Amino acid sequence: MKHRNAGQLTSLDYPAPIIRKKSEYNADQMDTQSPTLQLQEGLTIGYSQPLAAATENILLDGGTHFLIARNGRGKTTLLRTLAKTLKQLHGSFEAQGKIQYLPEDLRFDPEITVTDIFKAMLSKDKRESAFKLADALELDVRKPYGKLSTGNRRKAHLIVAENSADLKSGSILLLDEPFSGLDAYAREIFENMWRESSQQVLRLVSCHPDYDSMGMPSALVIQGEEIRHTVGHDQTWSQLKQQLN
Amino acid sequence: MKLYRLTSATLLRRKSWVICAFVVGVLPFLLQYISSGSENPVLLKPAIAQASWSMALLSAIFWGFFTAAKQGESNARSGMGEYFLTTGLSAGRQLFEMWLAVFTYLLPIPLIAAGVCIFAASPSLADERSMWIATNLQYCVLFIFVMAPLVALASAVASRFGSITGFLTSSALAIYGLYGVGYLELLANLEDNALLKWLWSSSPHYHFADPTERLRYKLGAIAWDKFPLLLLYFGGIMLTYAVISRLLFRVRAAA
Repeated sequence: MKHRNAGQLTSLDYPAPIIRKKSEYNADQMDTQSPTLQLQEGLTIGYSQPLAAATENILLDGGTHFLIARNGRGKTTLLRTLAKTLKQLHGSFEAQGKIQYLPEDLRFDPEITVTDIFKAMLSKDKRESAFKLADALELDVRKPYGKLSTGNRRKAHLIVAENSADLKSGSILLLDEPFSGLDAYAREIFENMWRESSQQVLRLVSCHPDYDSMGMPSALVIQGEEIRHTVGHDQTWSQLKQQLN
Repeated sequence: MKLYRLTSATLLRRKSWVICAFVVGVLPFLLQYISSGSENPVLLKPAIAQASWSMALLSAIFWGFFTAAKQGESNARSGMGEYFLTTGLSAGRQLFEMWLAVFTYLLPIPLIAAGVCIFAASPSLADERSMWIATNLQYCVLFIFVMAPLVALASAVASRFGSITGFLTSSALAIYGLYGVGYLELLANLEDNALLKWLWSSSPHYHFADPTERLRYKLGAIAWDKFPLLLLYFGGIMLTYAVISRLLFRVRAAA
């Protein structure tokens, strides 16, 4: 019997279905404005008391950027601040692109089916790719939302968010713990999608990785009370977690 | 109109609107058997008319306000309000789309009540019948003017203070305006108290939108020159509640 370790998954183990053809993304790229997110030095987040502040100017462009910190250090607070649903305490930031923030605790009414959700939330031209992606992820779209497992609910949220992204004018997706509850197979599919649309969509993804070898070429790290940006092609969770306190 | 579509689909799936349809469309025909209409057949039609509008008011208060309150609370606590806000749907727009979805299901209620009255309880004399139709249509419009802002208020209050508070606020206002104001007037006149009289005059007089007495005793339609005044009065209340609702409404529960 073949044993799989989540940390050793490759695309050969789980061939990811092609949800959108690469040429479609490339065609979009031709007249697309790349999204950017610029955090100015001194940007301070928090509620009544400061939680953390950017110690340098940070510029994020299209692609996936991970946001890591220990519990209660301000990951969600930073995402909410960037989504403009929470005011920063000091400093400023600039966002170029259409923002979408997917809260971790998002939930739909338990009676409504996934099909209803897609029909309500997505334009007609996006629904087909949403249903294809749901099929690839083995998400039963006829089931009421309340009867879905945590992971399947998360898939529904991510499908809505991904298909709501505007590839033409550039999108910024702020995803709060999108992987919690997701199996490795589903995560692989989403990560492949993210790679393919990295020019048109900036994703800032807060997460607590569950395997050490997870690659994090670009990561915002909240360490102590400082927000820092670290980059490196071979940078992994294993190296970054040493910095967390 | 994403939130409108989502809320409408949610309400359709919950199926509780079926109870409303039954209460307004069927119950008036069953309730006549417990009225004195069984002893005196002349009273049957007034009994149906009274029951259909009473059921319409009760459905709006208990189902409509409860549903609106539940949606308001759920939008704020489920992360949906915050999600929609970041996609560019302002708080005012969210309140409007939720209100519109709930109201889409409330709108048939007065129409069904009027339909029951017109088709099952119309007087046999032609003159009386045309007056009857006019009365029912007038009260349809008044019903909408009264219930619309209270639905928004239930959602808004619930988004900030929870669904029970939202439901109770709108229900209490509606019941007070329909029935309580009459008792207050009686009390104010008995006591000759200026404060009570001021309270009475500044209260929402929803009893002007309750057609049951007028239909039961065949008092005829509201004079057409007075009707716009009533619309203006309820329009003013609607505007006031709309502003209060917008001020109270929040897309995210307090952290």
